[in-house]
Amino acid sequence: MMAKNKTKSYFDRVHTWGRISSVTALCVLLMFPMAVCLYLGVWPEAKLVFSGLLKLIPIYWATSVIEVILYTPMLGGGGTYLSFVTGNIPNLKLPCAINAMEGAKVKATSEEGEVISTIAIAASSIVTTVILAIGVLVFAPFLDAFTNNALLKPAFAQVLPALFGALGAGYFIKHWKISVFPILVMIIVLVFAPAMGASTLLFPGIVASVAGAAVMYYTGMLDKKTDK
Amino acid sequence: MANTTDFKSSPGLYLIAGVVVLFVLGQSVFFLVKAWKQGKALGMDTKKLRNAVTSSALFTLPSALSVLATVIALAPALGLVIPWVRLSVIGNLMYESTAAEAAMEAFGHQGGMATTVTDPTVYAGIAWVMTLGICFSLVLLPFLAKPLHKKFLSAGKKGKTEEKAETAAQTGEKKKRSLGEFMDYVSPAVFIGLIGAFVARAIAGAGKPETFGDGAGVVSVITLVVAVISSIILELIAKKAKLTWLEPFVMPIGMIIAMVAAVAAFNLLPQDIALLEWRG
Repeated sequence: MMAKNKTKSYFDRVHTWGRISSVTALCVLLMFPMAVCLYLGVWPEAKLVFSGLLKLIPIYWATSVIEVILYTPMLGGGGTYLSFVTGNIPNLKLPCAINAMEGAKVKATSEEGEVISTIAIAASSIVTTVILAIGVLVFAPFLDAFTNNALLKPAFAQVLPALFGALGAGYFIKHWKISVFPILVMIIVLVFAPAMGASTLLFPGIVASVAGAAVMYYTGMLDKKTDK
Repeated sequence: MANTTDFKSSPGLYLIAGVVVLFVLGQSVFFLVKAWKQGKALGMDTKKLRNAVTSSALFTLPSALSVLATVIALAPALGLVIPWVRLSVIGNLMYESTAAEAAMEAFGHQGGMATTVTDPTVYAGIAWVMTLGICFSLVLLPFLAKPLHKKFLSAGKKGKTEEKAETAAQTGEKKKRSLGEFMDYVSPAVFIGLIGAFVARAIAGAGKPETFGDGAGVVSVITLVVAVISSIILELIAKKAKLTWLEPFVMPIGMIIAMVAAVAAFNLLPQDIALLEWRG
C-alpha cells in the first residue's frame, strides 16, 4: 500500500517536473535565435520569418499535435518530456524505449515500464547530445572526411533500413498477423506517391495497423491459441 | 568550414549553443537519476536498470553518428552552430533540411543548401524559422501529456483486471472481447505501423535523385533483409543457448551487421546492380 502511494505520487511528480522542464526548454529554445540576434546585432524582418514559417506550420504544427497524442502513451511520463525536448522520436527514442522494455520484460503500462522507458530515453539523449557536442567541437574537420569516406558512405545511407529491420524482426515474428496488412497498405500508398517521406507515411500505416488489429481482435483472429 | 573566420564560426555563437546543449544534458541526467531511484524504490534489480542504460547507449550509437553526419551535411551552408543546436533540441533528420530550405527561400538566399549563408540577417532569420517551426510540441506537452498518459495507464490496468477475471471464470468456449484487452494490441500495432513505414520505404519508396541510398533499391533491400534475418538468428541463439546477456544487444548487433552488409553489397556487387534504385 505504501509502495502504491509512493508510485502514485511518482506519476504526479514526473508530470510536475516534466511540465516545468518543457516550459524551461521552450524558453531556452527561443532564447537561441534571440541570442543570435543580440550577438550579431541584426534583426530579421518578421514578415520574412513568417513567410518561411507559413510553409512549415501547416505540416509541422499539425504533426506535433498528432505526435504528442500518438507517442505520449508509449513513451511514458518522463520519457515523453525528455523525448520531445531531444527529438528523433520515431527513429530513435521510441525504438530505444521499446527495445529496453522488451529487454527488461516490462510492459509500457506498468510502473517498471515507466522507469525503464525513462532510463532508456535519458541514456539515449545523453549519448546523442555528447556525441554531437564532441563531434562538433573536436572532430568536425576529420568527420567531414569520415562521413564522405567512399567505403563507409553506403552504411550511413542505409542506417534507417538497418535500424528498422533489426528492430522490427522480433515484432514481425511475434505479431505477424498484425504486421502484414499495414505494410501492404503502405507499399500500395508508395506505389501512388513514391516520394512520400516515412514521417508522413507512418500515419496511414498506424491507422491501417490499429484498424487491422481491431478487426482481427474482434473477429477472434488474434486469439492466443492460434496466435502462438 | 570553408571560411573559418566568418561570423558563423565565432566563439560567441559556440558559447550560446553550449548553454542550450548543457541544458539538454542536465535535463536528461535529472530524469535518469529520478527514474533510477524510483526503480530501486520499486525493488527493481540494478542489473536490469544498468542493462537498460547500456543497451540504449549502444542502440543509440549508430543513429547518433548519423545525426552527427546530418549536422556536418548542413554545415557548409549554415555553419556548425545552427545545425548543432537544432539537432540537439527536438531536431530530426527529416525536418531540418526542409526547414532550412523554407527559410532560405523566404529570405531570398540564392542556391539553397548548396551555397553558404554570408548575410548575418539571413542567418538569424533562418535560426528563427527553424526554431519556431518545430517548437509547438513543447507548448502542447504541459497540457496534454498528463491526461494522455493517465488514460493509457488506466486502459492498460482495466485490460489486466478483465483478463484476470476471465481466466478465473474459465468461460471456455466463447471468449468475451473487451476494449481493455484490445489495448494490449494497440501498442504493438502502433509500433508496427511506425516501423512498417520505414520498412515500406526501403522496399518501395523513391528518394532524392541526387542522393544515393535515399530511395528503395538493391542495397536498401539487402540491408533490410540482413537486419531482419540476423536479428532473428541472434534472438534464437540467445534463447536456445540461454545467453541472457546477449538479449539486449540483439537489435544493435543486428543493425551493425546490416550496415556492414550494406557496405559489402555496395562494394562487391557489379556497379549497375549496386546502384539500382527502382523508384528513383
